[in-house]
Amino acid sequence: MAGAFTYAPAIAALPFVSFLVALFLGDRMPKGGALAGIAATAGSLLLSAWVALTVAGGATYNQTLYTFIEGIDTFELTLGILIDPLTALMLLIVSLIAFLVHVFSLGYMNDEGETGLPRYYAGLGLFTFSMLSFVYASNILMAFMFFELVGLCSFLLIGFWFREAAPPSAAKKAFLVTRFGDYFFLVGVVGIFATFGTGAFAGAESFPAIAEQALNGEAEVTTFFGMDPQTWFTVLGLLVLGGVMGKSAQFPLHTWLPDAMEGPTPVSALIHAATMVAAGVYLVARMYGFYALSPTALAIIALVGGFTALFAATMGVVKQELKQVLAYSTISQYGYMMLALGAGGYVAAVFHLTTHAMFKALLFLGAGSVIIAMHHNENMWDMGGLKDRMPVTYWTFLSGSLALAGIVPFAGFWSKDEVLFEALIHGLGSDGGLGTVLLAAYAMGLLSVFFTGFYTFRMVFLTFHGKPRTETARKPHGVGWNVKFPLAVLGVLAATIGFLNMVPLEKLTGIHLSFLHDWLAHGGIEMTTSETYGTLLHDVAGVTAHYPLGELGTTLASAAVSLGLALAGVGTAWSLYNVDEPTEHTDKLGSLKTVLMHNYYQDEYQVWLATGVTYPLARAADKFDQGVVDGVVNGVSSVSLFGGGRMRRLQSGVVSNYATLITTALVVLLVAFGLIGGWF
Amino acid sequence: MVMIAALLGITLLGAVVTFFADDRYAARLATAISSIPALLSVWMYWQYYQNFQEAGNALLTPGEAAFVQQIPWIELAGFELQYYVGLDGVSMPLLTLTTVLTTLALVSSWTPISERQNQFYGLMLLMEASLIGVFAALDFFLWFVFWEGVLIPMYFLIGVWGGPRRKYAAIKFFVYTNVASLVMFVGFFSLVFGLGDEISTLGLPAIAQALRGGAELGSLFGFPLATVAFVLMFFGFAVKVPVFPVHTWLPDAHVEAPTPVSVMLAGVLLKMGTYALLRFNFTMLGDVAQTLAVPIAAIGVLSVIYGAMLALAQRDLKRIVAYSSISSMGYVILGLISFQEHGVGGATFQMISHGLISGLMFMAVGVIYNETHTRMVGDMSGLADRMPWTVGIFVSAAFGYMGLPLMSGFAAEVLVFLGSFQSTVLPYAPLFTGVAMFGIVVVAGYLLWAMQRSVFGPYRLETDYEVAGAPFHDVAPLVVLLLLVIALGVAPDLSYRMIQHAVNPILDVGGGI
Repeated sequence: MAGAFTYAPAIAALPFVSFLVALFLGDRMPKGGALAGIAATAGSLLLSAWVALTVAGGATYNQTLYTFIEGIDTFELTLGILIDPLTALMLLIVSLIAFLVHVFSLGYMNDEGETGLPRYYAGLGLFTFSMLSFVYASNILMAFMFFELVGLCSFLLIGFWFREAAPPSAAKKAFLVTRFGDYFFLVGVVGIFATFGTGAFAGAESFPAIAEQALNGEAEVTTFFGMDPQTWFTVLGLLVLGGVMGKSAQFPLHTWLPDAMEGPTPVSALIHAATMVAAGVYLVARMYGFYALSPTALAIIALVGGFTALFAATMGVVKQELKQVLAYSTISQYGYMMLALGAGGYVAAVFHLTTHAMFKALLFLGAGSVIIAMHHNENMWDMGGLKDRMPVTYWTFLSGSLALAGIVPFAGFWSKDEVLFEALIHGLGSDGGLGTVLLAAYAMGLLSVFFTGFYTFRMVFLTFHGKPRTETARKPHGVGWNVKFPLAVLGVLAATIGFLNMVPLEKLTGIHLSFLHDWLAHGGIEMTTSETYGTLLHDVAGVTAHYPLGELGTTLASAAVSLGLALAGVGTAWSLYNVDEPTEHTDKLGSLKTVLMHNYYQDEYQVWLATGVTYPLARAADKFDQGVVDGVVNGVSSVSLFGGGRMRRLQSGVVSNYATLITTALVVLLVAFGLIGGWF
Repeated sequence: MVMIAALLGITLLGAVVTFFADDRYAARLATAISSIPALLSVWMYWQYYQNFQEAGNALLTPGEAAFVQQIPWIELAGFELQYYVGLDGVSMPLLTLTTVLTTLALVSSWTPISERQNQFYGLMLLMEASLIGVFAALDFFLWFVFWEGVLIPMYFLIGVWGGPRRKYAAIKFFVYTNVASLVMFVGFFSLVFGLGDEISTLGLPAIAQALRGGAELGSLFGFPLATVAFVLMFFGFAVKVPVFPVHTWLPDAHVEAPTPVSVMLAGVLLKMGTYALLRFNFTMLGDVAQTLAVPIAAIGVLSVIYGAMLALAQRDLKRIVAYSSISSMGYVILGLISFQEHGVGGATFQMISHGLISGLMFMAVGVIYNETHTRMVGDMSGLADRMPWTVGIFVSAAFGYMGLPLMSGFAAEVLVFLGSFQSTVLPYAPLFTGVAMFGIVVVAGYLLWAMQRSVFGPYRLETDYEVAGAPFHDVAPLVVLLLLVIALGVAPDLSYRMIQHAVNPILDVGGGI
C-alpha cells in the first residue's frame, strides 16, 4: 500500500511546475498558462484521491524527506511529509477547490480579457504548491515556512490589479496583519524547538508526545523563566495561536480579510475562503495533541472563536457589497471552527472546516458569476431579480446559502450543529473556569446562528429576488460552461457533504452515520487520532461531557434550537427583503448602523497604531539619531577641527623654524629609541 | 598551496593594469579580470565543500585549515611577522561572497559610472584584493595591512564618484572607521603585550590558542586586561559592523556612494566587522564575551529594533536599505553572543545571506535609479507597469529581506533565533530573542510600505523621457544574486555545514563563567 505515498511529494510538486510554466512560458501559451494549472491541479486531485484511498485502507505515512539543516551537537531541521486521515482529507479539499478555481478562472479572467494572466496563474500555482505543502508538513517549522509562503501568494494575488490604488494597499495590509500574528507563531516555533528539541507533529518522538510525557513526569524538558511545564506549554500554545488568529482572521487580527476582497474573486474563493484562511484552524487541529494538554489554551481558543463568530456576523448584516457580506461570513464561520476546537470538538471542527470549504468556495464563485454578469459591480442594491436570468448560478448559490445558514439537510446544518453541541455538552460538563468560558462561547455561537441566517438570506433576496434595480441587472452578461461547471460540482457538494457525519440522525435512528468520526479516529501514528485527543482532553485538560436531557434528548434539543434560530433569521430576512422593491431597513438601527458600517472602528484603531503611533515614533527615532547620536559624532569632529586649526599655526612657512623642529624631533626620537633599544 | 596568493596577485595586478588602461575598455577589462578570481574562488569553494567540509576552525585547529600558506617574512620587536593565509568554514564562504559580488558589482557599474572609468575600476579591484586578504590572512600584521587597505580605495570611491555630499560622507567614513581601527589596534596590542613570552609570532592561531589556554594577562588600571582589550576591540569592530550607537557614518556613506560601491559596502565591508568580532572577540576572548553577554545582546537587540525604526522613517529607498542593514547586523550580534551552534552558525550564515540580499537590494534600487533618476518613495508610483522584471526582482529581494522561507534570510534568522533562545550564557535569553524577533514585523512594515508607494499603484513619474525596462547587463547580476539567495535558502547546507564545523570549536569555552 505504500505506492500512493511514494508519489505524495508530487501532489505539491505538480502545481509548482505549473507555477514555473505559467511564469516563464505563460505568455507564449494559449490561455496564459491556465491549462498547465488545470492539468497540474487535476493531477494533484487524482493523487490526493489515491492517497485518501490508501489511508482509508489503514495506512499512514510520516517520513522525513530532506534535512534542511543538520545539527552536529544540536537538533536538526527537516522537511517531511505526514499523511494521516486529517491530512488526506485536507489534501482532497485543497486540490479539489484549487482545480475548480482554475477552471472558473478561465471564465472570470481569460474571458473577461484581463492582462497579466501568466502572473495570475503563476500566483495560483505557487499558492497551491505552498498550501498543499503546508497541509502535509511533518513538523512545525516546515508548517511555518509554507504558512509564510501562502501569505506571500495571498499578497501577490490580492494585489493582482496593482495598477489601481486600492489592491496594493489591501495586499500590504493583509501581509502585515498576518505577519504580526506570525511573529508570535515564530516565537512559538523557536520556543518549541528550544523546549523539546524537535518540531515533529506526530509520532512517539513528536513534541506533543514529549509534552504529554513531561506532564506525566516521564520525560524532562527545558522550560524557561522558571515556569512549570504545563504553564510553559500553555505559553507556547498561545504564541502559536497568534499565527492562527492572523491567518484565520480571528478577532482582533481579522481586519485584513474584508480588504482582501480587492483581489480577483476566484482568488477570494480559493485563498480567502476555503483554504488559506483554513490554515490557521488546520494548524490547531494538526497539533491538537498539544493544545489538548492545556485547559487555559483551550478556553482562550473557544472564547476567541465564539466572540469572533458573533462579532463578524453582526457586521455582515449591514454590508452592501456581495463579497463583503461573504468576507464577514467567512470570519464568523472560522470563529465556529475555533469554538469547536476550544471546546474539545476536534471532529466537529474538521467537519465544519470541510463543509465550509465547499459551501463558501461555492458562494464566492457564485458571487464571481454574479459579478461577471453585473460588469464588475458588486453592490447588491444595484442587483435584484437575477434568479430568472442566471438559473444555474441562482440554484447553486441557494444551495450554498442554505448550507451557510444551517438549514437541514444542507451541509452547514450538520457541521454547525455538531460544533454547538460539543460546546454545549463540554461547557456543561467541565469544571471551573473552562466550563464557564465554554458556555459563554457557546452562547455567542448560538446567537450568531440567527444573524447568519439573516445576512445570508438578505444577500440572496437582494441579489436574486425582487425586480431588477438597474439596467445591468435587467440584461446581465452571460457566463460560460467554465463558470457553471465548478458551481454545479460545489452546489451538489454543499447539499450533500454533510451526510459524511449525521450525528443527530445516527442517535435518533441507531444507524451508523458518523463516518467522519470513524475516519479521524483511525491511524497508526501517535498523537494523530481523535481517540487519543479525546483521552488527553478528558484526562489532562479536564474537558468532560454532560447531557442534561440524556444523550439523545440533548442532541435533538441542541439541533432543534440551532435550526430554529437559523430559520428565524431566514424568516426575518424573508419578511424584510423578499419583496419586489426592498428598502434599506438598516437605517432603523440608528447610530448602531454607523458603528457596524465602520466595523466597530477596528480598522481605524489599527491604522492609528501604524500611522499614529509607530510612524511618529520612527520619526522621533530618526530625529534623535540625526540630532543626538550623529550630533555627538559631528561634535567630536568639530572639536578636532578647531584644535587642528590652532595646531596649524605651527606651520609658519619659515624654513628655519621647520629645520629647528625637524632637528629637535630627530634627536628626541634617537634618544628614545636608544633608551628602549639598549644602546646606552 | 598558492591559491590565495594567486587570488591576491591577480586582483592586485588587475587593479594596476586597469588603472592604466584606456577609459573606453576599462569596464570590460576589469570585469573580465575580476571574473578570474571569482571563478577560482568558486572552484576553491567546491574543493572545500568536497574535501574540507568537516575541517575545524582556522584559529583553534589551524592544522585543519585549507589552502594554507605560511612564509616567514620579517622580524619586528621580537615578533616574527609572516605571510600566513588559510581558510576555514567561516572565511571560505565570505571570501567567495567577496569575489562573486565584486564581479557582479562591476557589471552593475557599466551604466552608472561614466567618468574616469579606469580609475574607478582599478580602485574596485584594489578593494577586492584587500578584502580577500582580510578574510584569508591568519597573521595579525598581514591582516591589519589588508584591513586598513580597504579604507583607501573606499575613501576615493565615495569621495570621487559619489553624490552631492560625497566629500562629507567620504571623510566621515574614513575618519570614523580609522579611529575605530586605532582603538582596536590598541586593544589587540595590549593583549599581545599581556601575553608576553607566551607567543613568538603574531599568527592569529598562536594568539588564540594562548588566550584560550588560560594565559595570565594581568590587569590594567585595576581592570582585567582581557576585559579592557575586549571592550576596545569590540568598539573598533562595532563601528565597522555597524551597531547602535556607532552607526551614523553608514547612511551617509550609502546615500552618497554610487550603486556598485554601496553593494560592496553593504555586501562585504560590513561583514569585515562581524567577521573580526567572531575571530577576535568571540574566539580569542570567549570567556570575557560571556561575562559581558547582557550588554552585548542588548546592543544587538537595540540595533535590530532601532535600525528598523529608523528605516521606517526614511523616504529615500537607499536610506531604507542602509538602515535595514543595521537591523540585520543586530541579528548577527545576537547570534554570536548566544554561544550556541545554531546561534553562532546562524550569525555567520546571516553574514553571507545579508551580503547577497543587501547587495541585491542596493543593485535593484540602483537599476531603478538609473531609469528614473530618483530614489525618493514619494516621487514615483506604479513602476511595475514600466519595468516589470526589475520590479519583480526588487519585490522578490524585499521579501527575501523580510525573511521569506526558502530564501537565505529565513534560514539565517531562524537559526539565530533558535540559537539565541536557548542560549545558556545569556540570562533571559528568550526575552532578548523575543524582542529582537519583532524586527521581522517592522521590516515587513517599511518594505511593504515602500513597495506599495513606489512600484505599485497608478503609474506616475515626472520625467521628460519615456521610462523603459533596464538593459540586460543591468538586470543579469540581479538574477544571479536572486538565484544564489534562493539556492542558499532551499539548501542552506551548501554553506551552513562548513560554517557549523568551523564555529563549533569556539563554543567550547573551557570553564565557562
